[in-house]
Amino acid sequence: MRNNTIRIALAGNPNSGKTTLFNALTGAHHKVGNYPGVTVEKREGSVIHNGKTFHFIDLPGIYSLTAYSMDEVVARDFILDEKPDLIVDVLDSTNLQRHLYLCLQMQELGIPVIGALNMTDEADENGIRINEKQLSASLGLPFVKITAHKSRGINDLLSQIEETASNSDGHSYRHNRNLLYKVSYGEEIENRLVIIEKLIKEGGASVDNSDSIAEAARWLSVKLLEKDKNAEARLSKLRNFEEIKAAAATAISWIQMHFGKDAEIVISEQRYGYIRGAVKESLSTIPKVDFSLTEKTDKVIMNRFLALPIFVAVLYLIFQLTFTIGAYPQGWLETFFGFLSGVINTYMPESLFRSLLVDGIIAGAGGVLSFVPLIVLLFFFLSILEDIGYMSRASFATDRFLHTFGLHGQSIFPMMLGFGCSVPAIMASRTLKSQRDRILTVLITPMMSCGAKLPIHILFAAAFFPGNAANMVMLIYACGIVISLISALILKKTALKGDPTPFVMELPPYRAPTAQGVLWHVWEKTWHYISRAGTIILASAVLIWIITNFPVYSMQDSETEAVTAAFQKENPNAGDAEIAAHLETLQADAVLEHSVAGTIGHVIEPVFRPLGFNWKMAVATVTGFAAKEIVVSTLGILYRVGMEEDEESESLHEALQNDPSMTPLTGFVFMLFMLLIPPCFAALATIKAELGWKWLGFEFVFLLCTGWISGCVVYQIGKLFAGL
Amino acid sequence: MVLSDAPNGASFQVKKVNIEKEIGKRLADMGFTEGAQGAVVRRSFFHGPLQVRILGYDILIRRFEASGIEVEPVGDWSAAEDAHRFLGGQTAKQAKKMAHDAFGGKL
Repeated sequence: MRNNTIRIALAGNPNSGKTTLFNALTGAHHKVGNYPGVTVEKREGSVIHNGKTFHFIDLPGIYSLTAYSMDEVVARDFILDEKPDLIVDVLDSTNLQRHLYLCLQMQELGIPVIGALNMTDEADENGIRINEKQLSASLGLPFVKITAHKSRGINDLLSQIEETASNSDGHSYRHNRNLLYKVSYGEEIENRLVIIEKLIKEGGASVDNSDSIAEAARWLSVKLLEKDKNAEARLSKLRNFEEIKAAAATAISWIQMHFGKDAEIVISEQRYGYIRGAVKESLSTIPKVDFSLTEKTDKVIMNRFLALPIFVAVLYLIFQLTFTIGAYPQGWLETFFGFLSGVINTYMPESLFRSLLVDGIIAGAGGVLSFVPLIVLLFFFLSILEDIGYMSRASFATDRFLHTFGLHGQSIFPMMLGFGCSVPAIMASRTLKSQRDRILTVLITPMMSCGAKLPIHILFAAAFFPGNAANMVMLIYACGIVISLISALILKKTALKGDPTPFVMELPPYRAPTAQGVLWHVWEKTWHYISRAGTIILASAVLIWIITNFPVYSMQDSETEAVTAAFQKENPNAGDAEIAAHLETLQADAVLEHSVAGTIGHVIEPVFRPLGFNWKMAVATVTGFAAKEIVVSTLGILYRVGMEEDEESESLHEALQNDPSMTPLTGFVFMLFMLLIPPCFAALATIKAELGWKWLGFEFVFLLCTGWISGCVVYQIGKLFAGL
Repeated sequence: MVLSDAPNGASFQVKKVNIEKEIGKRLADMGFTEGAQGAVVRRSFFHGPLQVRILGYDILIRRFEASGIEVEPVGDWSAAEDAHRFLGGQTAKQAKKMAHDAFGGKL
């Protein structure tokens, strides 16, 4: 205990109701971050009980304390390195045996553990009776019955925490540690564990973190028998490390000879055996285990014929609800920011600063916030699905197909949502538990043609394939799916090599989602987006404004007169307004062409030559990083058909058709290129927030190469068949 | 006999986990230990994952991992509903009969 604050780690299996308990304990007083260096979410929050501050840290949900998944490594490192004062392990009362498996490993870590027997109400309904006093007595740690989603038993738990913390105050607890009960692995294994434990304590006495080594000596010994590399690394600084290793090796080979199987398997079996014994005395089940509702629902939801159609329907519904309902608040936000820009334009004299404010900052902030309605809605639906328990059922239907490409059943959610908008889609990859699956899914999600790319496709398809526009757009979408799957296959064999993540996941019974849980989830995701991605998006909006407006250029008076005269000659009936509009377009064109972006476009044009692009398309590619919608309006400016261009506009169609350097082939290649190159800054910022700079850099180069190579191949092959 | 052979609805008892290192350990952690009893609740289409009930809860496991778990049938597997019948394969009963015919009853 430090001062009056007790630091409590909240541990437990996935689906144990850990997060619900965390919310019930801390209410509104918590913050979300990441564990250092990894994208595992870290929630922290405090509550004051009898004048003491209880500071809770929510560990990731795990099944065991191996070094198997990142979540497990994060959890054990936190406990060993940060040394919380005590651990509250949340257990599902309806599934006690397996949840105790983790609980008893926690007990070995040398920190006091309290078992929170959650979902007591459900256990009661199912006829499961747990005698928690008896259980406490046989396992040597206190158990408290709670029902987190109804906030029942929370006070009992807090009182128990207070009591345990005061008993274990300072060193008294730690020195009496040997009095604690712990798993017995059987006499012969125990004899060998004692030897290793003693050696670890001896060697540990001479190093800096001797306390934590001594406390966890028992656990480290067990881990050595389980051939845990991380535990070994922790001990490598000990002077008698070789001796410890030798003792462990002797024990391992003895176990393997004696039991006829691997030592790590024997340890698991002994642990389960011990649990079975302990549970026998304190658990009674009136045989009324009622899976009926879950069972009946699963008969339909997971039916081998219906699973896939139902999944597609669910996905379609979410997609529609998110993007149709989301369009309204998105529109309101756009109107609001448009209004704001209008007000500033009206009341502020024209200047570079006004332009920065309106076209840079307000446009950027509007860009950040316009995604918020989508994120809120999407995570509202996704967290309901996850809380109900549908997510794992969805993987049942899709895993077979996606596994072929190195993806996971749940990768389907981010991929499909990518057709709407990459930003929430990339965030949705968080539902994937394995880091490798998550990275792979994020990397291919931008290849799903998002809503903002649709105007580009429509413009080019209509301009160059007038009879077949719809089919061409469909083809582009299909290209995105096919190329993403091929990319996944390639990445799986190269950058993300390694053992495929095994697919062993729990299928929880259906549970009603709680309003509080869902709302917290939505809030966390939204805040995460605004704070992590928002700043980068805003900064890049300003950057794009700078490179499209600098160096400042304005037409000379003589030039203006010349073009005005030329325009009047061509259109003798043109009024002043038309002339002014024409001049404005020319001015915008001139500014853009002389700007950094225009220069970049000219400079990189040779790079695009193998793809058949002219410099205007190169400039549009550059400005497109602000948002893909901007590609169309940039082309509008560069083809001098007016500033307010959209994909419906006839004149831009004609201008593109009349450009001698453009053919249907270049049109198609441009669509393909736009589909595959790195997404807008908002999506890139989200990738950075999810995976970090390293993977963002990789993704950027990877997509650029994929887009360029695909475009080049199609263009060069297409050119061979001159008819195209 | 391995777990991936078990038809829909078949009960089994775990004999041994024959998978290397971490995955084997993980399966043991999840409750696939010697003597543990379980049942195959359902198998998904096109050789997708299996839904297996063990220690009173359900888990999804890919066929590849399931093929590394050695099990012993509990009860009559041939009576269990079989997943293959929809896929144009044989039922467990038919497969057994074929095996019987082929090996002349030595199995």
